[in-house]
Amino acid sequence: MSHEPGRDAARPQLVVVPDERRAPAAQATGQAPAPAGRAPQPVVTLGRFRPLGRRGRIALGAAVLMGLVTHGWHLFQYPLYLTDEGIYMQRAWSLVRQTSLSPYTYDYDHAPGGWIQLAGWAFPLPNQFETFGNAINTGRFLMLLVHLAGVVLLFEIVRRLTGSLLAASVTSFFYNVSPIAVYYQRQVLLDNLMMFWVLLSLYLLLCRDMRIRHALGAGAALGMALITKENAVFFVPTLVYLLHRRTRGSAQRRFAKSLWPFALAVPVGGYVLYAVLKNELMPSGLDFDLNNPPADHVSLLYTLWWQINRNQGSLVGHGSLLYASWLPRDGVFLILGLLSVLAALYWGVRDRGRNPGFLIIGTLAFAYSLYLVRGSVLLDFYITPLIPLFAATIGMTADRLLRRFRPGLRKALPAAFGAVVLLLPATGYLLTVNDEGRVAIADQYQPKLNLTRMQERQVAWIRKNVPANARIIMDDDLWSELHDVPPFYPFAHSHWNASSDPDVRDKLFAKNWRNIDYIIMSNKMRQAMDGNNGDGRENWILTALKNSRKVWETSQGDIKLQIYRVG
Amino acid sequence: MTLLLHTGLVLISVLLTVQSAHVLYLMLYTWDQKDAEERARAPEEFLPPRLSFSVLLPARHEEDVIQTTIERVVRADYPAELLEVFVICSADDTGTIARAEEKIAELGREGVHNVGVVVFDDQPVNKPHGLNAALPHTSHDVVTIFDAEDDIHPAIFALVNTVMIQDRVNVVQAGVQLMNYQSTWYSALNVLEYFFWFKSRLHYHALEGAIPLGGNTVFFRRELLVRLGGWDDHNLTEDADLGLRVSAAGERVRVVYDDRYVTKEETPPTLGHFVRQRTRWSQGFMQTLRKGTWKQMPTRKQRWLAFYVLAFPHGQALLGLYLLVSLGMMLFLKVPVLVALISWLPVLMLAAHFVTQAVGLYEFTDAHGLQATPKAVLRMAVAWYPYQLVLSYAALRAMRRQMTGRSDWEKTQHVGAHRAEPPEADSHVA
Repeated sequence: MSHEPGRDAARPQLVVVPDERRAPAAQATGQAPAPAGRAPQPVVTLGRFRPLGRRGRIALGAAVLMGLVTHGWHLFQYPLYLTDEGIYMQRAWSLVRQTSLSPYTYDYDHAPGGWIQLAGWAFPLPNQFETFGNAINTGRFLMLLVHLAGVVLLFEIVRRLTGSLLAASVTSFFYNVSPIAVYYQRQVLLDNLMMFWVLLSLYLLLCRDMRIRHALGAGAALGMALITKENAVFFVPTLVYLLHRRTRGSAQRRFAKSLWPFALAVPVGGYVLYAVLKNELMPSGLDFDLNNPPADHVSLLYTLWWQINRNQGSLVGHGSLLYASWLPRDGVFLILGLLSVLAALYWGVRDRGRNPGFLIIGTLAFAYSLYLVRGSVLLDFYITPLIPLFAATIGMTADRLLRRFRPGLRKALPAAFGAVVLLLPATGYLLTVNDEGRVAIADQYQPKLNLTRMQERQVAWIRKNVPANARIIMDDDLWSELHDVPPFYPFAHSHWNASSDPDVRDKLFAKNWRNIDYIIMSNKMRQAMDGNNGDGRENWILTALKNSRKVWETSQGDIKLQIYRVG
Repeated sequence: MTLLLHTGLVLISVLLTVQSAHVLYLMLYTWDQKDAEERARAPEEFLPPRLSFSVLLPARHEEDVIQTTIERVVRADYPAELLEVFVICSADDTGTIARAEEKIAELGREGVHNVGVVVFDDQPVNKPHGLNAALPHTSHDVVTIFDAEDDIHPAIFALVNTVMIQDRVNVVQAGVQLMNYQSTWYSALNVLEYFFWFKSRLHYHALEGAIPLGGNTVFFRRELLVRLGGWDDHNLTEDADLGLRVSAAGERVRVVYDDRYVTKEETPPTLGHFVRQRTRWSQGFMQTLRKGTWKQMPTRKQRWLAFYVLAFPHGQALLGLYLLVSLGMMLFLKVPVLVALISWLPVLMLAAHFVTQAVGLYEFTDAHGLQATPKAVLRMAVAWYPYQLVLSYAALRAMRRQMTGRSDWEKTQHVGAHRAEPPEADSHVA
């Protein structure tokens, strides 16, 4: 590598050359040498990222393989199909079958990028949505692929930011194995797709030689993230900063800095333009009154305004998701993650000039955490985007803390920690203590536990006993199954739509419980109906439920599924 | 019928998008390649003078500037014995001949004897014919062309001497740059066209081996020129034509765009001049396309690239029409949302071009010690759409002339001669 110090000095690149293998340019350009006596710190210097190398390729290969096992094994059996998975697949289905963004009125509750991607994935498959058994499975298979791509991206991001294979490996370990990661990343969630685009954007900003095309790609990827799920907006400031750091002083900086936002604006602009073309950008009469939703047509900006002003629940309160769902799933990971984010922010701010890696990952995690803490509407899976970021801060922090040890110990310590976490039943990583107090394989890998089969049996019963023209109230997780596989059940609708969409509520059911033939129920759906009934909109369905008899049921653990015949 | 309309709309939109994405890529080519900028630069140290240069100065009604131009060439930082200069005039242009001979006499009194005038009296009276007439008189290693109004850098010969020897190339195209980006409403955009063309795009063409050369500050080994048979007398863009013939002959072309050593020129003074100049280039490209030199290129990629460049004026004419049509459609036609979204893509690409040009303005002014202001960018934004329409108009005009078989220089020149304005700038670059 030949360096002309004079020219290079004008265009610094964010590069980490760890340990003693410092590039000669570091001396020439007056980089502070590592303090003697201590283990050398990574130095950000001019030049290029180190190539992956043989050891790196092995570590990366192992990480991908591990991800394939943890996320692929038992993918279709655990966890239970979720309402939201059903909604996204139903919309992807609508895109392929009806060239429409939703089988119901699309009210801009989410940007449509996510299910456009799902539709793009399912469309060319041999059996389209049924290729992997049912629509949600087909979506889940894409989640597996997205996860594997995420492993590669995250591994490389962390390695480039730290120059350390150890950091990248620890990151991949948590990203792959943490039960909370396995639980949410297997589900068909917009957050998973969004994080793929965010990681891709970050990765492109860390390309070895930062070119205009990388800036363009990074901007476009972030734009895709934004129209997959608007929450990606919390990552924008950090990525702008990284773009600035990467292009500062380079010949193409002006082009990179102006084409990045342009590329970002392309997908976002497409989304807005869609609304404009449908005349659905503004609410009619520009009326943003939250107590008086627009009646004649939906509106992108009104929905956005409504979402921003939504406030419900809090993260840290008693009985909140944090205590009820997230900490029980993987307390170790969340606590380590939180601590390492704080450490990353501290080191990052202190060391930002020489080594912005901590600052970048730290602020990404911090910004999204702020959003969660703010106490807007929180859903169970909102934690998902934090998982790769927590994994990264843990990996980077571990690497930094372990630097003071000699090489042997530096590898042995995390390996031992990993083994303990895997083998300790309390963690739920690989083993768990089951209801009978015995040590067993953790739920996510337990071959005997097949949650989704319960839902399959439910559908099988319907097909056998319920006529296709029956008017059915159900949850969205079964929607695609009943609409995509013959015999079709065209009058099967979720309670969400039956209680809010005028087309379904007023035209098909006329808000009259007697017009319902069957209710396909689960205990989760029952809770959701109560939660959704603040204004009494579900009352007529609940009346139907009171006037019905149970014709089928099954249960396993805390999951109960039933079918009711009304009247 | 509606389906056909929609399909056509989508097809055209996609085609235009791909095409303008490619143009954008070429505009950014040099900046996007790592180290390409360094490679495109001039060497920092020059070799001692070894090659000798024959400088051709085609001039027509250039009484006002010809003496200065001669002065600049002979005063270049290069040994006089390695330079010879030929002012090329047609016999009827007695004014320019007189002024040139006056200057030669003056130089002779100082002991400078390497300037001469070549006069030709046969048809056609145009630049390529003049160049061909002068070629037999040249005797030096390298033949080069400058236009009468060119502002030549004194080190240009030393620079080309170095590049030709170091890189072992027989053809060098050095940068030409319009400078007056603030004088008319279209000048900033015109200046930036040159900037992106020479600084970025030509490098790509040189690398791929299909390069339309510029009309001046271009250097050839004399024996190569003789072997290729000189210029095409009947071509309106004889420079582009020669470039493609050079490429077809398998000659490597080195492009040097170094902000420090560019030949400085001015944008055409009036819109009328600008349109006529652009019409000539467009028609020249059309002629060259029809002539079929591009078919003689060795590889398919070269052939395709040459075809693509030459067919560009046709595309430009289409693009202008599309701009009008799409505007109308946006306002009046109700098309399905998806079709509308797709037909929006070319507009997005045009916006990307504008962003790139706005950045280019800053790059350009920075490189030449000027100061770009937000006001200049705003002016550019306002001028941008009309400018595209003017380019389109010129392309359409060229198409019409080409179809009706009017391929003469005479007409344009007559118009220039009959007016009291200075003659049209004779540099055709694109």
